[in-house]
Amino acid sequence: MATDNSSKNSIKDSVKDVFFQPRVLVVDDEVRIQKACQRLLTEEGCDVEVAQDGIKGLKMIDEKHFDIILLDLMMPGMSGLDVLTDVKSRHPDTVVIIITGYATLEHSIETMKKGAFDFLSKPFSPTELRLVIAKAIESIRTLQDIATEKSRMRVMINTLSNGVLTTDNQQRIALANPAFLKMIGCRKTSVIGHKVFEFIKDTRLLDMIDQAIQQPANTFAEITDEIAMPFSKEDQDMIIGVRCIPFRDRLNRNLGSITVFNDITALKKIDQLKSDFVSMVAHEIKSPLNSILMQLNVVLDGLAGDLTKKQKDILQRTSERIKSLTILSGELLDLSKIESGLINQEREQLDLIELIKGQVEFYRDKADAKSILLTVKKTKKEIYMLGNRINIEEVMSNLISNAIRYSPSGGQITVWADEKSDCAKIVVSDTGFGIGQKELEHIFDRFFRVKNETTRYINGTGLGLSIVKSIVDAHHGTIEVESEIDKGSCFSIYFPRSEYKI
Amino acid sequence: MSEKQLILVVDDDPDLVEAVSMKLEALEYRVATAYDGEEAMEKIKEEKPVLVILDVMMPRKNGWEVCDDIKNNDDLKSIIIVLLTAVADSVKTTSYTHHDGKTTLADDYIPKPIDLDKLMEIVKDHCQ
Repeated sequence: MATDNSSKNSIKDSVKDVFFQPRVLVVDDEVRIQKACQRLLTEEGCDVEVAQDGIKGLKMIDEKHFDIILLDLMMPGMSGLDVLTDVKSRHPDTVVIIITGYATLEHSIETMKKGAFDFLSKPFSPTELRLVIAKAIESIRTLQDIATEKSRMRVMINTLSNGVLTTDNQQRIALANPAFLKMIGCRKTSVIGHKVFEFIKDTRLLDMIDQAIQQPANTFAEITDEIAMPFSKEDQDMIIGVRCIPFRDRLNRNLGSITVFNDITALKKIDQLKSDFVSMVAHEIKSPLNSILMQLNVVLDGLAGDLTKKQKDILQRTSERIKSLTILSGELLDLSKIESGLINQEREQLDLIELIKGQVEFYRDKADAKSILLTVKKTKKEIYMLGNRINIEEVMSNLISNAIRYSPSGGQITVWADEKSDCAKIVVSDTGFGIGQKELEHIFDRFFRVKNETTRYINGTGLGLSIVKSIVDAHHGTIEVESEIDKGSCFSIYFPRSEYKI
Repeated sequence: MSEKQLILVVDDDPDLVEAVSMKLEALEYRVATAYDGEEAMEKIKEEKPVLVILDVMMPRKNGWEVCDDIKNNDDLKSIIIVLLTAVADSVKTTSYTHHDGKTTLADDYIPKPIDLDKLMEIVKDHCQ
């Protein structure tokens, strides 16, 4: 017998928190119990109705929804168990509390199995009734909270402008919001339960979902990519940023995948515009600069009249400044071309040894002029990789010219290529000024230049290494830099094997 | 040298044409100028220069076409052509221009931006 007084107002407390008045149906053939329950529960703020047998009760349940049903097991006509089965099958949300005259263990187990929420054994006290009803209301509230949360989540996901797709671990669609369906151009509304490949044709995307689902439990990686999707209204493709992650339960088992789609077409367009603009400006600056250089050359030669020594000096320096400007415009052009992906599309089989030799020869004069010993270290006869010739030459050219510029006269620069089982490698090593730890983090940033006492007078644009990085990235390679102030720097570039074997 | 050799400079940038002309004149060459492909063809037929310094990107008729016209004409094909190739704009190495220079019928080429002194060396080599 529950005698806890503090629970006296428990139903009212519960009722207060629920924003509806609990509707209770009492199904019992004993008028005494009908009356007692009705009086007590009405006092507690419930809306109570009664039925004297199962048939009548079921009829009432069909007419309107009851939150709680107090159901007697022993009734004439239809038994309480049959009523329970029927209610649970058609109104699974309804909480059923069994009233039984002989609360034996078997009975309670059987009713619980059939979906009863709890049971009261006759005779019961008002406190016991209050308690069990309060518990039922609590449960209804929790279920309601979950339902509210679920529908809130659904509304939220459906209003997102980002596409959302979730699947189970069998690649069946569990959720697909309207934004996603619009992106893949799917007009069907019922995609739930279907396999993803029935609606998605993009193999890369299917691959990503598969990867997420297959991801072992000890790792968690977000798979990201940009995918071009045909856009029905315009001839231009839609560019979608895709992020895909596995979805796991508390035991870290993969339940499926969650994929978020972000339409970045406009962003890409702006980026392209920017690249085009930079390219245009660089082009337009370059030709007049070249003409100016030539005109200065003519004047410096005295072909436009004699010059004083001072005039000559000034024009000489003007020439140098303009030369660095032409280099800048050239590098801006490179960058815009790389960004727009124009020049690294065509890949061919390249012999790195041959490329290195060519580059070293090209820079021989410049190195000699500074008394720098520029050599190729012998490794193998030939090393092949699959790459874009102009790009890879550009990489070596940038690294070697940097090494020359940032080395004191008398220094040494060694260049070599080598191969391992999983990668091809290019190394440019110098005994130059070196790069400080703090600066190392930024050397691949655009327009970044190491400025200190020794390098102040070295010309440069700060674009060379960012171009190198972009090219290496486009070839799925990596760069390693080791450097020590006044000792020198060593740049190693690794290209994965898959990229260099045809 | 008994008579000064005639060199035709063709580019749509008048400043470039002027600078190249002044350098050539300083080396005792006679210079004729043209500012597009059509004009270049007229001057070539009229004046029969020994050598043509020819830009590729030009209005009306581009350098490749002028080059083809000269080399496929028996009367003109002995004229030496030095192409100004800007294709190598973004490439600091020679291999690319090298490749491009070879695929044309031109006798020589120099990448833009032009190193005037180098250009003069090339001209001197061909006009000996």
